[in-house]
Amino acid sequence: MDEEEVTASKRAMGNEQTLRVALAFSGLLGVVWLVVMEASPVARVAAGAVSILAIFVLAWNHRRKAGDASRESEVLAERLVEQNRQLSDDLTQVKDRHKLLDHYFETLMEHIPANIYFKDLESKFLQVNQNMAESFGLQHPADLEGKSDHDFFDHEHADPALADEEEIIKSGKGVSGFVEHETFADGKEGWVLTTKMPFRNRHGTIIGTFGMSSNVTELVETQNTLERERNVLRSLIDSLPDRIFVRDPGRHYLVVNKAMAEWVDAESSEVMLGKTPADYFPPDVVEKGAAEELDILSSGVPILNREWNFKTREGEVRNMATTKVPLLDQDGRSWGIVGMDRDVTEARRARQVLIETEQRLQEMMDNSPAVVYLKDLDGRYLMVNRGYEELFGIGREDVLGRTDHDFIGDRSAADKFRENDLMVIKVGKAVQMDEELYVEGEPRWYVSARFPLRDINGKVHAVGGISTDITDRKRAEEETRQLNDDLVSANDDLQQAQEHLIQAEKMESIGRLASGVAHEVKNPLAMIGMGLELLARKIPKEDEKGRETIVRMKRGIERAKKIVEGLVDFSSARQLALEPKDVNEVVRDSHALVDYQLKKSNITVVEELVDGIPEVKLDATKVEQVLVNLMINASQAMPDGGQLTLRTLTARIEDVRRDEGARTAGHLRAGDTVVRIEIDDTGTGISEEIAGKLYDPFFTTKPTGAGTGLGLSVSRKIIDLHHGTLELANRPEGGVRATVTLKA
Amino acid sequence: MRTTRLLIVDDEPDFTALLKANLEVSGNFMVRQVNDSSLALKAAKEFRPHLCIVDVVMPGMDGGDVVAQIRAEPDLKKVPVMMLTALVEENPHTKDGETQTGGLPFVSKTSGFDTILACIEKHLDEGA
Repeated sequence: MDEEEVTASKRAMGNEQTLRVALAFSGLLGVVWLVVMEASPVARVAAGAVSILAIFVLAWNHRRKAGDASRESEVLAERLVEQNRQLSDDLTQVKDRHKLLDHYFETLMEHIPANIYFKDLESKFLQVNQNMAESFGLQHPADLEGKSDHDFFDHEHADPALADEEEIIKSGKGVSGFVEHETFADGKEGWVLTTKMPFRNRHGTIIGTFGMSSNVTELVETQNTLERERNVLRSLIDSLPDRIFVRDPGRHYLVVNKAMAEWVDAESSEVMLGKTPADYFPPDVVEKGAAEELDILSSGVPILNREWNFKTREGEVRNMATTKVPLLDQDGRSWGIVGMDRDVTEARRARQVLIETEQRLQEMMDNSPAVVYLKDLDGRYLMVNRGYEELFGIGREDVLGRTDHDFIGDRSAADKFRENDLMVIKVGKAVQMDEELYVEGEPRWYVSARFPLRDINGKVHAVGGISTDITDRKRAEEETRQLNDDLVSANDDLQQAQEHLIQAEKMESIGRLASGVAHEVKNPLAMIGMGLELLARKIPKEDEKGRETIVRMKRGIERAKKIVEGLVDFSSARQLALEPKDVNEVVRDSHALVDYQLKKSNITVVEELVDGIPEVKLDATKVEQVLVNLMINASQAMPDGGQLTLRTLTARIEDVRRDEGARTAGHLRAGDTVVRIEIDDTGTGISEEIAGKLYDPFFTTKPTGAGTGLGLSVSRKIIDLHHGTLELANRPEGGVRATVTLKA
Repeated sequence: MRTTRLLIVDDEPDFTALLKANLEVSGNFMVRQVNDSSLALKAAKEFRPHLCIVDVVMPGMDGGDVVAQIRAEPDLKKVPVMMLTALVEENPHTKDGETQTGGLPFVSKTSGFDTILACIEKHLDEGA
């Protein structure tokens, strides 16, 4: 072999060597592919074919070269067979391994409660898992192959997904673990945790996308709720004017609200975290707080509203109230302290003002001479003054919170008070009234102003009262009134006396005149009478007209005589000869005088004269005149006969009727013991027309000539002079009762 | 039958005349009337009446004075006196309508003649 041949042979040798190596590599690569590339059955078949083909080419090439180097070939062939066997074993192992991996993959795809998909470059589904198929409402994953999101969703939902995938394909960068809002195939909305990655082949070429998404709606919503609650709580504690903090046992701030940060002039709440009170408060406050918190942490007993004074940087002293409570973990161990500092300066000041106001009010009330009190709507005392305590002899500590019924012995008075209170509450206006209360058995009078107390909304919430003792004033008034009454009465009496005097004088002169007239008239009457007597003797018996004339003339004289006598009677009745007399006797004597006449008139007389009637000072003759007059009147009211009852009795005057006339009012008074003489008839009674004229002089119901009309007026005058009364009234059972009342 | 002398002292001549006339018609009376009371005593002394009938109200001496004069005269003091006057009324309480006052019977002039006559006769009897 020449150089060229040798070079060519060497070159050919070299080429053959290179081919073998390439073939062997191809076979090996095919096997490795088989083992590694588990994804595609097509690729696996291709890889298997390539490796077998490479082995065959190697074997054929080897046999072609056998002649050249048969021993070497044999060795090589053995080695190849060995290698082939080895490869076949490896292939079997790879196949087993592949099956196992396939099983893993399928198990994952089938059971993972998440959607897993592979899409090609056009975002069409290559493969999905069972879960995803079901979430799309399909039975089998194969049903989704070749479809895209647009086959199931409208553009609004499908377009963004497509855009995402295009971006991933373009950039080669996936997104993982992000939560996005999702509308599910069944129309429900929710949240999913999504991972989307580019899908590359063995060579790193992007052949699509794949991804996984799990429904985390519940988780997200729970998280949102928690977040919201946390925000609410944060806003809440930040909006509280109280300073709130949480500190660990080392006194480092864990939580601080806005008010706390502002209080200590910190930039923000966050700035304070990790710091301790020593960074913000003077040493004495820090020391005291530290000691206190040690106690709380060890004992577990909280501190509530400890008041202390805090001097601000401006030097102003503020009143603080601190509350600290230990924070316990699940095992009951303290892991920190939650605390609250409240500025109570204003509250304390307001309380102070309130106390002072109440004290002022109480002072004013206590120094008032009136009785002052406030009660709630149930009648329980809210406030009373010293006057009240003194009136009831009871301390305010025993009154407040109790009602009138609890300590006023006079139940009806307590009832009355409550009634008045309720009335004021109902009416809603101040009411003034007079009240009577028995204090130690003595009646006391109060003028009470009761008024409703209204709250800020105008609603009545209490009732107040101011009662002023007006007993003395009332007594004085009563005395003045009594005095006035007495004066009026005295004046009346005086006036009456004066009237009597005038009347007496009048009567005196009238009496004198009347007797003069009577005398002067009676003389000619007597003379005429005598003349008639004489003339009568001269009239013959047969001259009836003449005799009748004489009778008529005599009757005329009789009439004139009676009138004149009545006139004298009327005007001379003023003179009384008073002597103590037994009234029954006077009645009997009077009866005796008219007994004959009564019997003649067919009248029966019944005497009901009780024993033991006190003697009465009277003018027996005059009273007899009255009684005779009344009995004659009664008999004339019973022209056809009847019954006359004479009765005497004692009585006590209950009340004097004022309208009885001024004359009687002055004489008989309530409480006087009196003797009554009653004369009852069974006659015709008094008609209404004449009732008012009974006592008028010259008024008569009797036939002309039978009465003068002076009888009752004279009778009344006589009884008047006795300071008694004479009354005539119809009896319910018929007839008239004449009643003479005389002072015993 | 003896004649009874009656002295009437009354300033009313019409009345005394008529009374006299009635009395004289009714019985055995001799009546002397004196209408001026101041002449009463003198008349009584002369007339020696069995009964004096004296009015009360008279000008000058009244009835009382006349009675006092007569009673003061020993010869006349036992002569009964009856006052006949318009001052009093008939007493309803006595049968004869008389009223006794100051020991003298008073009879009303307007009692009517029969009553007056009865009274006269009664007092004549008393005086006898």
